[in-house]
Amino acid sequence: MDTRHNHSAGRLAMFLASGICAFATVAAAKPLRIVTTTSDLASIAQAVAGDAGTVTSIATGRQDPHFLQAKPSYIMRARRAQLWIRAGMELEIGWGTPILDGARNPKIREGARGHLDASGDIVRLGVPTQRVTRAMGDVHPSGNPHYWLDPLNGRIVAQTMCGRLCELAPAQGDVFRANLASFIAELDCRMFGRELVAQVDGKHLWTLLLGGTLDADLTARGLSGEVGGWYGTLRPHRGKQIVTYHRSWNYFTDRFGLEIAAELEPKPGIPPSASHLVAVMKTVKRENVKVLLVEPFYSRRSADLVARKTGAKVVVCANSVGGQEGTEDYLSMLDQVVKHLAEGL
Amino acid sequence: MRILWLQVATPLNHAPSASSLRTVDRGSGPPCHRLRKQSRSLPTHPRLTVGSYLPGCCWPSVPALLPCSLFVPRPTTGRRYSARLGRRTPCCCRLADGIPNLIPYEETTMHTTRMAALCGLTLMLATGPTRADSPADPTAQLRSEVRELRAQLTQQRTLLEERVRQLEARLEQLAEGTTPSPVATATGVPAVREQVRSGGPTAAGPAWTGAGVGAAVQSLNPDVSVIVDTFYHNDNSKEGIQHVFGELAGFGHSHAGHEHEHTHLEDGFNLRHLELHLSAEVDPYFKAWAIGAICEEGAEIEEAVIQTTCLPYGLQIQGGKFFSNFSRINAQHSHEWDFVDMPLANQLLFGDHGLNDKGVQLSWLTPAPFQVLFGLEAFQGENELAFQHHGEEPFDQAPGPRVWLGWVKVAPNLPEAHGLEFGLAGGRGVHQEEHDALDNAAWSDSATVTFGADGEADHWFDGDTTFFGADVVYKYDAPREHGAGDLTVQSGYLWRRKDLELVDHILPGAPVGEDRVDTQDGYYAQAVYGFRPRWRAGLRWEQVGLTNSSELPDGTSQSFDDSTRLSAMLDFSPSEFSRLRLQVARGEYATDDGDEEVWQVSVQWMISLGSHGAHKF
Repeated sequence: MDTRHNHSAGRLAMFLASGICAFATVAAAKPLRIVTTTSDLASIAQAVAGDAGTVTSIATGRQDPHFLQAKPSYIMRARRAQLWIRAGMELEIGWGTPILDGARNPKIREGARGHLDASGDIVRLGVPTQRVTRAMGDVHPSGNPHYWLDPLNGRIVAQTMCGRLCELAPAQGDVFRANLASFIAELDCRMFGRELVAQVDGKHLWTLLLGGTLDADLTARGLSGEVGGWYGTLRPHRGKQIVTYHRSWNYFTDRFGLEIAAELEPKPGIPPSASHLVAVMKTVKRENVKVLLVEPFYSRRSADLVARKTGAKVVVCANSVGGQEGTEDYLSMLDQVVKHLAEGL
Repeated sequence: MRILWLQVATPLNHAPSASSLRTVDRGSGPPCHRLRKQSRSLPTHPRLTVGSYLPGCCWPSVPALLPCSLFVPRPTTGRRYSARLGRRTPCCCRLADGIPNLIPYEETTMHTTRMAALCGLTLMLATGPTRADSPADPTAQLRSEVRELRAQLTQQRTLLEERVRQLEARLEQLAEGTTPSPVATATGVPAVREQVRSGGPTAAGPAWTGAGVGAAVQSLNPDVSVIVDTFYHNDNSKEGIQHVFGELAGFGHSHAGHEHEHTHLEDGFNLRHLELHLSAEVDPYFKAWAIGAICEEGAEIEEAVIQTTCLPYGLQIQGGKFFSNFSRINAQHSHEWDFVDMPLANQLLFGDHGLNDKGVQLSWLTPAPFQVLFGLEAFQGENELAFQHHGEEPFDQAPGPRVWLGWVKVAPNLPEAHGLEFGLAGGRGVHQEEHDALDNAAWSDSATVTFGADGEADHWFDGDTTFFGADVVYKYDAPREHGAGDLTVQSGYLWRRKDLELVDHILPGAPVGEDRVDTQDGYYAQAVYGFRPRWRAGLRWEQVGLTNSSELPDGTSQSFDDSTRLSAMLDFSPSEFSRLRLQVARGEYATDDGDEEVWQVSVQWMISLGSHGAHKF
């Protein structure tokens, strides 16, 4: 009787101990709370953090990210965040600081380790070389902030995020690095095509692309026919011209060799005016522009008018995750853009 | 293991015939000697076998044969040397044995041997598959060619390695998070270019320069911005709308005389003020901002605030001179309002500047999942309408802080485009009034001393003011550009009671020591809608004096009528930094002289310069 009692007590103690250990492990491995300002950053952060992080985004992709209200519900999200990732380059200048100030979270204030500017190491376009004034419209002095539309910048942003996540949660460093590797591998596959990436390393392909010798090198190796993905889909359309609403597509067109003939906005942030639309129509006819690329949150009136008068096609394409059906994550958002453009051009 | 051997294929290569050996026996000398003699006559040639066993190779290749020359025996005196065996063989013993595979040779034949070896080598090389060469000086030519090839190979390899290293380094930099310098990328990477044709500073398409970015980003100076707020005003009341406000029944009795501070609201052009904002992060612990309002009469400090950024548990402390956060309207600056002027309730109960005072605010954002923000404020207590303090006889001198108030703001988490916030506030503070023949009251009938509104105070009240406020705001942020489709609905209520004791009165029969209680309230409700991009229209209904009563020290009480106003506004924002507004208002005011209807029209023109910070919700 005595021994039985002792056994059960021992078992109970072991059960409790294992329970406590399990609880401790679970508590130690709580997912990192990440809040990003845009949905594209959220998608990349989720890909890199995986199960080790919970990611929410302030902007949903359905709104113009320049203009948001610093609502109390955003402030509450930032209050509990452990990592705040912003797109930077003054995209959130209208609403970022009130959220951070109202959140009373010293860990995520600018300068703290929990505050990350994702634009730190990306390749920038549109950095003004002369003094900017507001007479030029809504010009960003640090450069064009819509940088996530270049897949190379998506790759770089993922690297930056992985570095910061490993700093904040070193115990899960291996998880983050493994997720990063698979995200980059998938991005390379979508960019160049799975067949090509299977034969040539993705990083090497990017090196050749940046060096301007990708086509020549592939032809020399006899792999020119194996090119697929976004690069392959848009290769036949190199040099073609499109018209956009806002100055938001420059990174995409630069990467894939397209050109922007005109913008519907006479200056960034100024709505289209009748006289400017007349000039745009002339440009469209002269350069034989086939596609007018407009984000879903812009009014289609001006684009439809130009399309009617010139025969070009209006392509409504989200430039941010969640802006449209079928754009649940960063890679499928770019898939969608490439698909729509290839259909239209 | 590679074994090098040379097969010398010459027609003269054969083992010494048996006959030659036998002739050795004829001599009487030692056999070696004889052999040597004999060898002079016989054309004996060494069989030298030097070649190379290479895996998978039948014939020796050229490079493999190159070192063969080392194995060609060199003339040595007095030594018999077998190339194959590589060891000295005493010829005497061998000759004695009569072993036919002995390779007898003499020192004098070494030179010949070498020549023969070279000939054989050349012959073999000629028959080998690697090259066909002219027999004239083949090895030297071969060597020089090989040297040349080797040099070329090394050079090419170095070049390629260098190129690969450079490219890999560049991609490493790009892909692993360090910024490549524009100069380094100029060689191979296409210049980063701006493809927009529609003008702007980057249309010239120069390469990206890091210096400009650095200059824009790095500055420890505060953010400076300037707000210019001007408007044209006109109303159809005889003495101006400000006078009407001063005469409103129940509200307008709290000033000493007619001389009191007003922001000028003249018919014609007005400059409300020029606001100069300076703000910056002070250090890892605080941020601060200062707002100076510069108007024609001079400059005054609207706000000068130090705010903590480092406190835990959702706490925040701010101190200095600032607008109290007890109501939305009070916390906003004039350029943030949706209408040209503030609601009547706020204006009549707290004055044109609102509750703006020196003090300290402690606020706490609770850990609840939705916003519950508590605030406690302590102010010095200098507000012309609600918290006056004179401090001198006959008043008590009350040290500051004389005003204490608290507020709470609750905002449920609503989906994406919707925002809602409720606010509740209450507070109390010392209030002292000196009057100048405004409240004659009943006891003046029995006066023996006559007095009038002579500009000098003749009765004094001391006590406190208690107030209570509530407001609510709902905002809908439509996913269209430039504010199209956005809706804001806002409403607020303010109630104020002055509990004052008559501390002194010129008239001897006055009920000194008795209380006077003034209770007034008011509310507003407004809605603003963006019906087109950059255009908004708004409507505001206001009512003041629903509760409008005075209990006088002599026991009587008075009650007054309410006043109402309806305002409509239309504004156009050419950009986020400029705004034009047209506002028309019609008010029905219950003044001391009877009811009065006043129409007001205002045209406001506002701009902001510089890096104006973002506005709160």
